[in-house]
Amino acid sequence: MEDAQMNRYIENREEIETARHALKTALANGAGAARISLNMGIQNAFAVLDGKLDKLHMANDRSLYIQLYAKGRYGAFSTNRIEKGELEHFIKEAIAATTLLAEDKCRTLPDSSLYYKGAGKDLGQFDPTFLELDSKKKKEIAFSVYEETEGKSKKLISANSEYGDYLDYQYMIDSQGFEGESILSGFTVSAECSVKGRGDARPDGWWYENSLEFKRLEIGGCGNKALDRALAKLNPKKMKSGKYRMIVENICSSRVVSPIITALGGENIQQKNSFLLDKLGERVFSEKMNLIDTPHEYGMSGSRYFDGEGIATKNMSVIENGKINTYFINSYYANKMGVAATIEGPSVPKFSAAAYKDEYKNLSLNEMIRIIDTGILVTGFNGGNCNTTTGDFSYGVEGFFIKDGVILHPIREMNITGNIIQLWNNLIFTGNDARSATRWQIPSLAFEDVDFTGL
Amino acid sequence: MYNSYLNLFGVTQEDLKKLIDIALEEGGDYADLYFEHSIANELALRDKQVNAVGSHIDYGVGIRVISGDQTGYAYSEITTMSKMVEAARTAAKIATGSKSRYTAPENVTLLGGNNFYPIAKGWDETFVTDKIPYLYKLNDIAFGLDSRVVKVSARISDSLTKILFFNSLGETFADMRPMVSIICSCVMEENGKLENGSASRSFRMGFELLNDTIVEEVAKEAIAKTSFLFGAKQPKGGVMPVVMGSGSSGILLHEAVGHAFEADFNRKQTSIFCDKMGKQVCDKSINIIDDGTITANRGSVNYDDEGVPGQKTYLVKDGVLNSYLHDRISAKYYNTAPTGNGRRESFRYIPIPRMRATYMDSGTASEEDIIASVKYGIYADNFTNGQVQIGAGDFTFFVKSGYLIENGKFTQPIKDINIIGNGPEALREITAVANNNIIDNGTWTCGKEQYCAVSCGMPSVLVNKLTVGGCTNE
Repeated sequence: MEDAQMNRYIENREEIETARHALKTALANGAGAARISLNMGIQNAFAVLDGKLDKLHMANDRSLYIQLYAKGRYGAFSTNRIEKGELEHFIKEAIAATTLLAEDKCRTLPDSSLYYKGAGKDLGQFDPTFLELDSKKKKEIAFSVYEETEGKSKKLISANSEYGDYLDYQYMIDSQGFEGESILSGFTVSAECSVKGRGDARPDGWWYENSLEFKRLEIGGCGNKALDRALAKLNPKKMKSGKYRMIVENICSSRVVSPIITALGGENIQQKNSFLLDKLGERVFSEKMNLIDTPHEYGMSGSRYFDGEGIATKNMSVIENGKINTYFINSYYANKMGVAATIEGPSVPKFSAAAYKDEYKNLSLNEMIRIIDTGILVTGFNGGNCNTTTGDFSYGVEGFFIKDGVILHPIREMNITGNIIQLWNNLIFTGNDARSATRWQIPSLAFEDVDFTGL
Repeated sequence: MYNSYLNLFGVTQEDLKKLIDIALEEGGDYADLYFEHSIANELALRDKQVNAVGSHIDYGVGIRVISGDQTGYAYSEITTMSKMVEAARTAAKIATGSKSRYTAPENVTLLGGNNFYPIAKGWDETFVTDKIPYLYKLNDIAFGLDSRVVKVSARISDSLTKILFFNSLGETFADMRPMVSIICSCVMEENGKLENGSASRSFRMGFELLNDTIVEEVAKEAIAKTSFLFGAKQPKGGVMPVVMGSGSSGILLHEAVGHAFEADFNRKQTSIFCDKMGKQVCDKSINIIDDGTITANRGSVNYDDEGVPGQKTYLVKDGVLNSYLHDRISAKYYNTAPTGNGRRESFRYIPIPRMRATYMDSGTASEEDIIASVKYGIYADNFTNGQVQIGAGDFTFFVKSGYLIENGKFTQPIKDINIIGNGPEALREITAVANNNIIDNGTWTCGKEQYCAVSCGMPSVLVNKLTVGGCTNE
């Protein structure tokens, strides 16, 4: 980030001095070590419902998150009451409570050699336009998104749209000398349409766009997409239960990746609550599966130089040709398990198509549908869950039946069920269409032999 | 209590009146101020030690202006007059151009009388050392119950939220809302196979909730639920009868119909039930209630977050759709009284129609007879989460465990399956209601735009047809 940009927001902010004071107060009152995080934010939203401004919402937040390490004990506290006297009292009480716990020698600040040392290039996370946009413009954008839906279909019952923007600033300091800050802005538009379906049904469709940079926000088309997606859901049919090929659209494909990320988490590994326990270095998934983390990509949501402990992020291979290359382990669970800390979680995880044959390396969703020939395109999930310990999952789905390489009709009231490890061993290929709007860069995904239950 | 809350937030009634005047200076029909001070504490046991503690303070005021059915909202974490005036002027912008002009009522009415969550000992009088022994006891019971237990984690979370409310109708109240949850999760290992399970209890109560009985109850339930899973498997899926066991099966009501009865969706014509008011929606023996008045219940409210008394609302009476769940905006739209369902996560959020404790009245059948009537289907009584598509009416809930029913008897234990159905159809397909309604007191939290504590209940019922997830060939 360019210093000048950040300075426009944080110049003379007394909250930063308050964070430094909180650290001193903690150390002066019995904490052997401490980490203080200051979080400040601004949010604005303008919502339009059926042609009228429905809601305007504006907010400013700031709070301190205080992690204390006192006599080998640990406590985590937060407050948005940061006036000096009250804060000092809060910290003293917090230390007193912490020292009443059992000793836990694994609770320490990280190995300081792992800290981010600064001097990274701008990651393109903050757009100063945020500080310049006025309410009139924001309202106009919200209306322009709505207007794309207006009068477009006799079946349209209700449409709403929203423009929102936000700024998040974090300053972190600890007693080992780490000091870091980050600032992030974001701009979003969204739309949702309800249409008259068969009987009493009123299927809806939504769409959203998100960008860290205002000029890259794709405002045009958002309302149209929401309406098109709602109309596409008319007259759904329930399919016969059976095994189908499945494509999961990029808008929702992270749903079948998140159980893997959860299972790779240090807490779940240490607590024996992971279907990937004792799998480090083993090939677990399809050899076609390659997942990497790329935390330093310019302009990507999620890019960062350090995690919540100050540990420097770096490019890493998470899964390579189906083999587990890393767990996400913070200092605490690293100490508990007697292993090296890695990082608390992924920043910008993405798939690599390196292992596919050439004709599968750069597929659009339409090409995936054509190649799949017959199957089900999942465009949304409706509830469901995955057992983190076993990997068994069952999810409600919505989407479309594909026949002869084209979409035939929407489906309704269907579930998919199976085991995540098995599912990912049935990976056919991934698309080239990860959405720039999301932190997890997960494209559309195609799988063989998925159990769908319907009729 | 009222005056002490004025002091807590550093305001006088004159300040509150002035802020309402400013909020409505551009016009608008209604405004309210919602001051909140909350302290939430947690204490956690992991790896046989109580080794993590936390405490979190949140403080601020939300200022809302309603003009027609439009809402302006802003909040401030600092309750100096200058910051609150700034927030009030921001919220007021929604009414710019409005013709209505506000005249303050002559008198201020102090609301009071409801006391659905009396406290014997408040969390502000309780110390960490008071709570620690209960977590160790829970841990010891859990490990002592079964040699297959390899990990136990447990947590006590408590909070005390102080609310001061004032609106343009001259109504004001102060409320102190307690909440406590005790949660136990465990991992068990059998022949190299791992399973996890959990149990919880949550109430609007003080320290008096914690006692040996509840600790033992939660530990035993967590172990029993986890142990059950070793013999269970995902069944063959398809459309079949589902017997919903009493208690936590109230998730069916929450997802299948509760959200669709929330009046904001109906006002916008996006709910599948928006044309059904006054019409028969299920068997005439069925009554469905949303209740904010159950003593110490997680969903109870003395007053909701827009100053409407907590109350008991019949959503379905004798099988007929009787009422939606209203906030002030929807009540005005439908020309009816608000039902006390205007709730919010905190001062950072606008109140919207939310459920409280949603349940079905008991019927006359016995659970045994209902199970015996099923030739092939499933029985479900342990759930984790659910969801609904309001417009299409398709809802789901995830069954953590249950049984396959074959020829009227439990056979194979089952686990980890999603069930999907359509709200209006599922309601019509309830053909038997048992005489055993109970409220489930787990840590139910609804996630409609913002988090909100709720609860649910149900007698055992037979739903003739639902789509059960599972493998497609055994």
